[in-house]
Amino acid sequence: MKSLKAGLYIALGTAFALSASTAMASDAPISGNLRIVIGSNSTGGDTYQNAAIIAAHLGEKLDMNVRVDAVGAVAGFRALKQQGKTGATIMFNHDQSYLGNLYGVKGYDDIFAEYKIGPTISINPGNAYLVPKDSPYKTVDDIIEAAGKGERVRVSVERGSASNIGFSALENAVKMKYPGAEKNLALINTGSQSDKNQALFDGQADVIHGSIQGNEQFTRLPADDQKAMRFIWITAKGETIEQMPEEGLGETTRDMMLQWTDPVTSVPQSADGDLFNFDKMFYFMYNKDIDPKIVAYFDEAMTEIFEEGKIQSDFKRSFFIPSFRASPEAEKFLVNKKDDYAEILSAIQK
Amino acid sequence: MENQSSSPFSIVIDFDTSHLFFPTLILWLLGLLGLAILIQKGPAFYRAVASGEKKLRFFEPDADKVRLFGTLGLMVVYFIGMDYVGRLFPNMGYGFWLVSIPFLFGLSCLYAHELDKRKLLYITLNALVAPTFAWFVLSELFNVTLP
Amino acid sequence: MEFLALVDISYLLLIFFGVALGIVFGAIPGMTATMALAVCLPLTYSFDLNHSLAFLLALYVGGISGGLVPAILLNIPGTPSSICTTFDGYPMARNGEGERALKIGVVSSLFGGLFSLAILYLFAPLLSDIAIKFSYIEKFLIIFFALTVIASLCQSMLVGIFSGVLGILLSLVGVYDTVKGGNGDIRLITPALEDMLYSGFSLLPVLIGLFGVGAILADAEQGVKEETEGAKLDLLSGRKFDLSAFRGSAVNLVRSSFIGTFVGMLPGVGGSAASVLAYTQEKNFSRDSSMMGKGAPQGVIASESANNGLTGGALIPLLSLGIPGDSTTAILIGAFTLQGVQVGPLFIGENVETWNMMVLSMFIANIVMFVVMFFAIKYIAKVVTVPKYLLYPIIIMMCVSGAYAINYGIMFDVWSLLLFGLFGYIGGKLGLEITPFIIGFILGSSAEIYFVKSLESFGTMTIFFTKSPIALFLWLLIGMSVAFSIYSNKRSKSKTA
Repeated sequence: MKSLKAGLYIALGTAFALSASTAMASDAPISGNLRIVIGSNSTGGDTYQNAAIIAAHLGEKLDMNVRVDAVGAVAGFRALKQQGKTGATIMFNHDQSYLGNLYGVKGYDDIFAEYKIGPTISINPGNAYLVPKDSPYKTVDDIIEAAGKGERVRVSVERGSASNIGFSALENAVKMKYPGAEKNLALINTGSQSDKNQALFDGQADVIHGSIQGNEQFTRLPADDQKAMRFIWITAKGETIEQMPEEGLGETTRDMMLQWTDPVTSVPQSADGDLFNFDKMFYFMYNKDIDPKIVAYFDEAMTEIFEEGKIQSDFKRSFFIPSFRASPEAEKFLVNKKDDYAEILSAIQK
Repeated sequence: MENQSSSPFSIVIDFDTSHLFFPTLILWLLGLLGLAILIQKGPAFYRAVASGEKKLRFFEPDADKVRLFGTLGLMVVYFIGMDYVGRLFPNMGYGFWLVSIPFLFGLSCLYAHELDKRKLLYITLNALVAPTFAWFVLSELFNVTLP
Repeated sequence: MEFLALVDISYLLLIFFGVALGIVFGAIPGMTATMALAVCLPLTYSFDLNHSLAFLLALYVGGISGGLVPAILLNIPGTPSSICTTFDGYPMARNGEGERALKIGVVSSLFGGLFSLAILYLFAPLLSDIAIKFSYIEKFLIIFFALTVIASLCQSMLVGIFSGVLGILLSLVGVYDTVKGGNGDIRLITPALEDMLYSGFSLLPVLIGLFGVGAILADAEQGVKEETEGAKLDLLSGRKFDLSAFRGSAVNLVRSSFIGTFVGMLPGVGGSAASVLAYTQEKNFSRDSSMMGKGAPQGVIASESANNGLTGGALIPLLSLGIPGDSTTAILIGAFTLQGVQVGPLFIGENVETWNMMVLSMFIANIVMFVVMFFAIKYIAKVVTVPKYLLYPIIIMMCVSGAYAINYGIMFDVWSLLLFGLFGYIGGKLGLEITPFIIGFILGSSAEIYFVKSLESFGTMTIFFTKSPIALFLWLLIGMSVAFSIYSNKRSKSKTA
């Protein structure tokens, strides 16, 4: 056993040898290992993947050992509060972290009051809604009209999460056009993508939340297959999708995707003609009392990483869109985004 | 679907309280089972205790309370210690490494019978090598987060 | 066979290292196959897709197999899915048949692994169409079916069921997670504890707390006596291993491997349920199950072939629906995405080469696992000759590192270890039955989700009977399982009376 382990160490040790490239100056305000906690328990999900990409580049740039820990949102907030002051533990998550608070999910703090917002990093443009291939609903407008006319439309999403916001936008759109009819949109609360797909296969839902990455192949199945689906709405901005490679994903090209985003497929957000959209944005959060020097240090490092231009291709290879903003700008951007969604939620409740 | 509510088996779960539905059911079931155990075994148990046939005592007569409570005490100190030391060196795993050494040494000494020089040597070596090896492989090689 | 041209030395070496490393992870109490993949995933970023999958799949096969070592030698399940291996494996080791039990376990693992791989290769798309026929209702019935094992494993029917229900109750503590379809509210704890118990108790710390720490505490009360020469666990005193241990076990092997594969392919049901189900079925339907739980090879065979059967099964929904079958294969999705490869219903057809290479990797990994373990067993089994005063502290230390790492750095999980160690120790004194308890704990939260969701969607209790022929068939199995355990319980009572 001993010799086996020794051999293993040699083999893996070489794999760990990092090419020390353009590491930053040695007067760093932090040292030791950097721990990034993420708002998901899964090491297979998009949060982990985005975190892993930025972590690899940060590790090289700061010449630090950076690890990504999939602790989940609530445990992540706790770690940030308890261990985040020194900057050695920081958090990475997407819009869920304030949406959870807007929807009143237990354990979600107001991130803008309790934490310091760090830079935005990237977008997962894949947030989408699907229907069975033989569904009578051809467009989002069909759904809005059907609900307006009193038809019950069941939409499968995870409550209080990033998949819930598109549902709320639909409710709001129905309410604006047919006040009172928004009750015809029924939220079918499902957790994992597997459960959502299953709800569609079983006829327990008419529309499900999904993703371009996870569901594209289902849209290519023949119509007589029970599993066949069709995209009906992609919530990302049209201009976000335009930054994708032209060939798109699988056999769904970028031009096809643009048919399901605004302005072609649109969900009105307010009476003055604003359109709803949702780019699932990934960003960092710090402990409230973190030293501003550390914030500046991270901002500088990430600005350099994005200027060097290598990280962009890493994101695009995994179907993500790089979207960097340094902390001050990121905070303004996210506060605006949150206010937008808060308005939708209060409009539904009125 | 409409006339479901008339069926004796129909049931409506309110989503806002759905987190309590199953636990309530389980608590009732647990209570009933507990009651059944009491009825089935209670009288015989009571008679056995009352007649002195069965003694109500938690520990065996020859229980080694030093080793038992020593283990518990050492573990509590171990956990508190590694959390504390770990926070002094965030994310380095030193809490685990540095506090495991005295813990292993202490527990081994507690458990060993007829401590002699040879055993003490083994214990010391083990206490130094095992945590160091574990820390190195997990934290340094595999980048696993340790306290 | 063009894909064979892609096999090179580094491919084979990666499989070898992967399997070996996986076995080590699986064999350390507190470290799991899932963790092995999670910590090694970043290593694979620099590999190409085929090499990275070969390495990860080898880790998976090794990690699932390694769990049998501590289960048999130390009575601590190295991974949750090897819990049933302890029931018969450890008694065998106590009887001086440690080496024999390990070898039986390894052979069963190989069979289960290859069996499920064959099913995966031949029937993956077909089976995924069957898997989607299982909705909340059928999944609940499967969990319920697995829970009926409690009735056949307990000493006293009432106390055993009580312990099982208590296990279910404790698995519900904390949040009713929205990720699983719940409403995100917290139950069964006071607000003061919410900070610590938000996500409830994690399975792994509970498991190794009950089995590892609990046993050490009980032994500490006895004074941690050094084994005298006569009582010393002699590895050679018992029967030697030969293939005759498998005589009459062909049905068991095939049935258990099939159960493992089948449960593996149902997302959300959970791998631990597989070996529990296989064990129950062997207990209920074999001609002679009177020795099970006291050191019968057939128990080890059922448990180990089922948990290795998982490996192929869990890949079926991953590769034909894009949905991972368990927490370990969920990590593989990350590997695919980072390489820019989509998984979904068209994966196999569009990536024939990758698909063939994956199956080949799994095949080689199973063979390597067998060779490495079968011949290393003689040395591995020596672990039990390490004096307790050195071994116990190391076990506690490894349990601590595993508990801390299972959720990527939560100190409360370490405290759970002590809490459930004490619970196991005290509960054992009060007559609580630990095995039913842990089975209830493992299956409790999925039972809740599927039960509540079924009623939420259909609004009537009768749906559990009327949903589909599959549901009726499952009821039949449940009925038979319950009837059998009542019958055998009565019989054993009249024997002792």
